[in-house]
Amino acid sequence: MTNGTAPDNALVLAAIEQVWGSMLFASADPWPADRPAEFGSGVQAQIELRGDWNGRLVLTCDRDVAAQIAGAMLGCGPEEVLPDLDVHDAVGEVLNVVGGSVKGALDGVSALGLPGVAPCTAPPAQGECMVVSWRDAPVYVQVVPDAAA
Amino acid sequence: MRALVVDDSRAMRRIVTRILEDAGFEVLEAGDGQEALDVLAAQETPPELACVDWNMPVMDGLTFINHVRKQPQWRATTLMMVTTESEQSQIVRALAAGAHEYLIKPFTGEAMLEKLDLLGLLPTPVGDQT
Repeated sequence: MTNGTAPDNALVLAAIEQVWGSMLFASADPWPADRPAEFGSGVQAQIELRGDWNGRLVLTCDRDVAAQIAGAMLGCGPEEVLPDLDVHDAVGEVLNVVGGSVKGALDGVSALGLPGVAPCTAPPAQGECMVVSWRDAPVYVQVVPDAAA
Repeated sequence: MRALVVDDSRAMRRIVTRILEDAGFEVLEAGDGQEALDVLAAQETPPELACVDWNMPVMDGLTFINHVRKQPQWRATTLMMVTTESEQSQIVRALAAGAHEYLIKPFTGEAMLEKLDLLGLLPTPVGDQT
C-alpha cells in the first residue's frame, strides 16, 4: 500500500491556530519543550483522513484541560461542570474542525471520518507530536499515517 | 421564526442554537439527518431555516437535503449547510442538491448572522443586534 504526502506540521498548526482563535477564543502558542506538564487522567480524540494520504489526527490532553476547552467552546460560566459526555463531544468537535481545515488544504484527501473520543492514561512522547498551549497547559497533536500493509 | 439545527455534535448544536436564539429564533434540534426528517415530519408548519452539518452518522447532511428538496411541503425551508467541508467541489455539490447557503466551520456568530441577513432571515438586521 502506498500513502501520499502527509499533512505537514505547519498546516496542522495553522488549522489549530484558526480553531483556537475562532472557537475557543485563545491563542495556540507552542508549548516549550523543556516545560514540565501535569497529566492525570486524559482524553484522546481521533479522526481519520482518507484519500491519497490515509491516516488520522490525534489530539490528547489532560481531562481538566479538556473540560476547560469544552467550557470555553460552549461559553460556560466558571461554576458550570460539564459531564464527560459533553466534554468528549466538544473535544471531538474541535478535532473535527481541525481535521476539516487540514482536509481542505491537502490535495487528494477526499474524506474525513467522524471523530472518536476516549479516555487515556498518558500523553504521547513529545518527540512524536506537536504540543500547543491551551491557556497554561499542553495539548498534544499527532499526525499518524496508516501502517504500510 | 423557527429553525432546525442538525448536527451530531451536541456542542455544535448548543453553539448554533445560542446564536439563533439570540437572533430571535425558536430552535428545534436533531442529531442526524434521519432524526431531522422525523422532526420536520412532526411539525404542523416547517421551520423557516435548517442549519445542517454534512458529516453525521445514520444520515448525512447532503442526503438530508436531497430528501427535503423532494418534499413540496418543505420547499419553504431555507437550508444552510454548516460544515467542515471546505473544498469548492463540496460547496458546489451542496448548492446543487438544494442548499441555499454554505457556512464553513470554524465560523463566528457574526459570520452566521451575516449569512442569515443575506437570506432575509434575521428578525433584526445585523448592526442592530445588541
